[in-house]
Amino acid sequence: MTDGGLFAPDRVAVVGATEREGSVGRAVTANLLADFDGEVVPVNPNRETVLGEPCVASVGDSGADLAIVAVPPAVAVETVREAGEHGIDDLVVLTAGFGETGSEGAAREQELREIAAEYDLTLVGPNSLGIASTPVGLNGTFGPSMPDSGSISFMSQSGAFVTAVIDWAFEQDIGFRHVVSLGNKTVVDETDLVADWGDDNGTDVIVGYLESVVDGEAFVETAREVTSDTPIVVIKSGRTEAGAGAAASHTGAIAGNERAYEVGLREAGVLRAGSAGELFDAARVLAGQPLPETDGVAVVTNAGGPGVMATDAVGDAESLSLADLSDETVDALGEALPAAANRFNPVDVIGDADVERFREALRVTLADDGVGACVVIAAPTATLSFEALAEAVVDVQRETELPIATCLMGGEQASASSETLSVAGVPTYFDPSRAVGSLDTLARYRAVQRRETDDPARFDVDHDRVHEILSRVRDRSDNRLGVESMGILDAYGVPTPDGEIVDDPERAATVAAGIDGPVVMKIVSPDILHKSDIGGVAVGVTDDEVADSYERLVTRARNYQPDATILGVQLQEAVDLDAGVETIVGVTRDPQFGPLVVFGLGGIFVETLEDTAASLAPVDEATARGMTEEIDAAPLLRGARGREPAALDAVVETIQRLSQLAADFPAILELDVNPLVAGPDGVTAIDLQLTVDPETLPDRADTSHGDDR
Amino acid sequence: MTDDTEDTTGVGSTPNDSPPENGPATESDPTGATETTDAILVGSVAGSGGKTAVALALARLAQDRGLDVGYAKPKGTRLRSRVGKTLDEDPMLARELLGNDDEVHEMEPVVYSPTFVEGAIEGREEPAVLQERVQESFATVAEGRDLVVIEGGDSLATGGAVGLSDPEVAELLDAQILLVADHDEPGDVDDVLAAAADAGDRLGGVLFNRIADADYETVAADLAPFLDGRGVSSLGVIPREPELAGVDVATLTDELGAETLTDTNADGLVRGFLVGAMGGDAALRHIRRRRDVAVITGGDRSDVLTTAIDAGGVSCLVLTGGHRPSGAILGKAETAGVPVLLVDTDTLTAVERAEDVVHDGRTRDAETVATMRELLTDHADVAAILDL
Repeated sequence: MTDGGLFAPDRVAVVGATEREGSVGRAVTANLLADFDGEVVPVNPNRETVLGEPCVASVGDSGADLAIVAVPPAVAVETVREAGEHGIDDLVVLTAGFGETGSEGAAREQELREIAAEYDLTLVGPNSLGIASTPVGLNGTFGPSMPDSGSISFMSQSGAFVTAVIDWAFEQDIGFRHVVSLGNKTVVDETDLVADWGDDNGTDVIVGYLESVVDGEAFVETAREVTSDTPIVVIKSGRTEAGAGAAASHTGAIAGNERAYEVGLREAGVLRAGSAGELFDAARVLAGQPLPETDGVAVVTNAGGPGVMATDAVGDAESLSLADLSDETVDALGEALPAAANRFNPVDVIGDADVERFREALRVTLADDGVGACVVIAAPTATLSFEALAEAVVDVQRETELPIATCLMGGEQASASSETLSVAGVPTYFDPSRAVGSLDTLARYRAVQRRETDDPARFDVDHDRVHEILSRVRDRSDNRLGVESMGILDAYGVPTPDGEIVDDPERAATVAAGIDGPVVMKIVSPDILHKSDIGGVAVGVTDDEVADSYERLVTRARNYQPDATILGVQLQEAVDLDAGVETIVGVTRDPQFGPLVVFGLGGIFVETLEDTAASLAPVDEATARGMTEEIDAAPLLRGARGREPAALDAVVETIQRLSQLAADFPAILELDVNPLVAGPDGVTAIDLQLTVDPETLPDRADTSHGDDR
Repeated sequence: MTDDTEDTTGVGSTPNDSPPENGPATESDPTGATETTDAILVGSVAGSGGKTAVALALARLAQDRGLDVGYAKPKGTRLRSRVGKTLDEDPMLARELLGNDDEVHEMEPVVYSPTFVEGAIEGREEPAVLQERVQESFATVAEGRDLVVIEGGDSLATGGAVGLSDPEVAELLDAQILLVADHDEPGDVDDVLAAAADAGDRLGGVLFNRIADADYETVAADLAPFLDGRGVSSLGVIPREPELAGVDVATLTDELGAETLTDTNADGLVRGFLVGAMGGDAALRHIRRRRDVAVITGGDRSDVLTTAIDAGGVSCLVLTGGHRPSGAILGKAETAGVPVLLVDTDTLTAVERAEDVVHDGRTRDAETVATMRELLTDHADVAAILDL
């Protein structure tokens, strides 16, 4: 997108440049004049010069390749058009007063979007705090200061957070490459920047503060590719219900789909940070340290208590484990350390250690093949200089090329050594859990890099038949379909019990006679959601009871809800629920991320414990299998308490097939197969509920394909 | 389904043997109004039955056949106060659709409001005077016309207090009664028979309306012949058409006295309501299951609002408590083309008022009449009805 343009312009126009104290136009002009390597052209028809630079009257006269726009909203729209007409393709619109202010602003923003499309403009904002690019000294923001240079590129949906971070980063010795305040994301959004920075050799880590993602599916696709060689760490705020409400109010972004963000970001390979602290801890370690080859962590400490804290933190970490040191390592440590020291992991060099004992212990420990990373912990003692230890750590890190995080615990003493460490890219913290957390980030990212996904399998299915059944929603007053649509499952190869929906008692008797053993009968009505609550379900019905049972079910339904539409009664072969495990496979289409397939165990596991696994559809086999293993109740599927294990392969295949269904038919907004009974010999789908969007359903001529039951 | 309706004799004799084109009613007219005008009174069996839509659609179908058609509603009931005057909206819609310029007070000589009924009970209204007024107004509307479609009251009995029940009006104006009937359960047939008895020899026949798919066959194949056997002609069975319930956003805005916060198109249809009291996730699920709903929630419920906008298929947002949402949300609604209405009342009051507007069966907009026209053509014996 930028082609050097947005982040490496030669000539920058500031439209709305002025000398008025406290104005945005002045702040941006001054910031650019202070550091920018190229030319700065103020644009203001009412002035000869601004801050000593000669002015031009209009952006068309500026000859710039990047224009920063800080004029009132109505003028801003015209400025962008003029820029487009004069071949200025890169723009940053600082002006507020667009979609974030309501109806009138939204119309203006739409106009901006159309102009940008017409001239193919790369436009950041509006309502942006600006952009910065340290390689060319470009500070096109109206924040107070230019960030230090570094290899982290940072985008933020909050302008205020940009200035706050830049200011704080000075103190933290964190430098940036590119910084973008996204504003309203009218044209340039997070996906564009991820794609751009993914291609940028100077960017080692992409960091973002996001309240929403404009196009979740595009983001996942792009980020998935980028994260194979550039880590992305993001705070997606609005995780809680209250937070989501606040984010919705702030940006107008949809709230409440936290699960979709969680799944979408995970599948994109994006590391999610829970707080601003975690975000930059992650960014710093990813920018400064190599990735570990294995998950094993060694803890080397001169302080027992903090060593235990670090060990606990390793236990809590997502992708780390405490390294099991080899006999050779333990023997070598025994020779290097005094008898009172602990030669096992966590390695305790004890309180009287000097820097040389530390250095030797580190060398020996890191030479162990089972050690992928190391946490160095030191409390201040009379025998140890933090400064010297910092240098030793940096030396060992360079020699071994293994990631190290340190915890030089203390106040003044520690800060004296922190510069040595941060110059070398070694993170240091007071808190052992933060040091471990930063190594965990590296291990998590390594897992992202190494993951492999197959293309989801394509099963042979009857697409037309499903289309025909879904089309029936057009005849309904709501968007729901129920068991009368079980033919959809047949068409997608999901086993269903023998049966049929009938609308008279004689037919019921005929159908029942054709089914082995007693049958299950259920009232079929889109208006009755809880069939069993109204006595709308009869189980174990023998052939001679079928006709009576039919009448009883229909009468009950009529009494309970006189205005309910009753489509008939479903007769089904009885499925032995005790021989299997009741599972649920569902699909919900997220407005941002598309279809999400969800798997869980029926009953309290889903309803009360919310024990489910979710993935973006369609899923490959490994992902589907992973879902069956991810839920807490997974042991029940494998045959807990002497039961026969469920046919897991059949469950996995059903998840795949239903995920294909969801992907094939965007009109399916929700789908619930509940229960899907998983027995030792296979699965059976007993019930089905669908929500279908008739608007999204394509019209097609070739629809009728046989029976639907 | 109308196979059984060739016989339009119904109960008693029908005076019109000749088609309307060739010179309608020849019988001497007790109203003394006009000698050549046919009159059909569209009455309702049990409250709301889509009378207005049926009456106006019939009138339009008659116009299609080259007839000069008028509309009258002797007892105004759908009342709406406008600067001190109480008006019924149906006559105004009729004027617009039929292209007539009859005076509304002629089309609707009596405003049958609660105050009016109280007055009648206290003896302040004189039935004979009112009947004369109805006859005179009808004569004015009917003058030079081939047919006048008369819309009855909420039920056949409405107006009885002043001798203006539907059968009495039919007698007064020499009209045949077309009964519009719902059918939800078997026992509804009793209501039909009772209404038929009330209509007496003025009964032309019954038109079943809003019949659910599941009941359609029963009504067409079993109920219609049964009623025929009891001397009640069935002139059509109109299926339930979801399109026919609902109001447009502009009307809802008006009725709620709401302020519109967006500059969006207000002709979308609202067929139901959903109260956004749940969290964002649950809101998404509920909204998706419905079509053409207005989501009613507090202006501070940004989670529900954004979800509703993104879910699609929402006709409008009604914000209660006078809370304006943030600019960002309004901007998003504008972009998505979802109208945002603001009312000062609390959510419960807003819901009650909104439901009144929609469920009242206020199906009097032009689109509804157009749909009903197609339904009548497809599912009723229009020739037989116009021939009553």
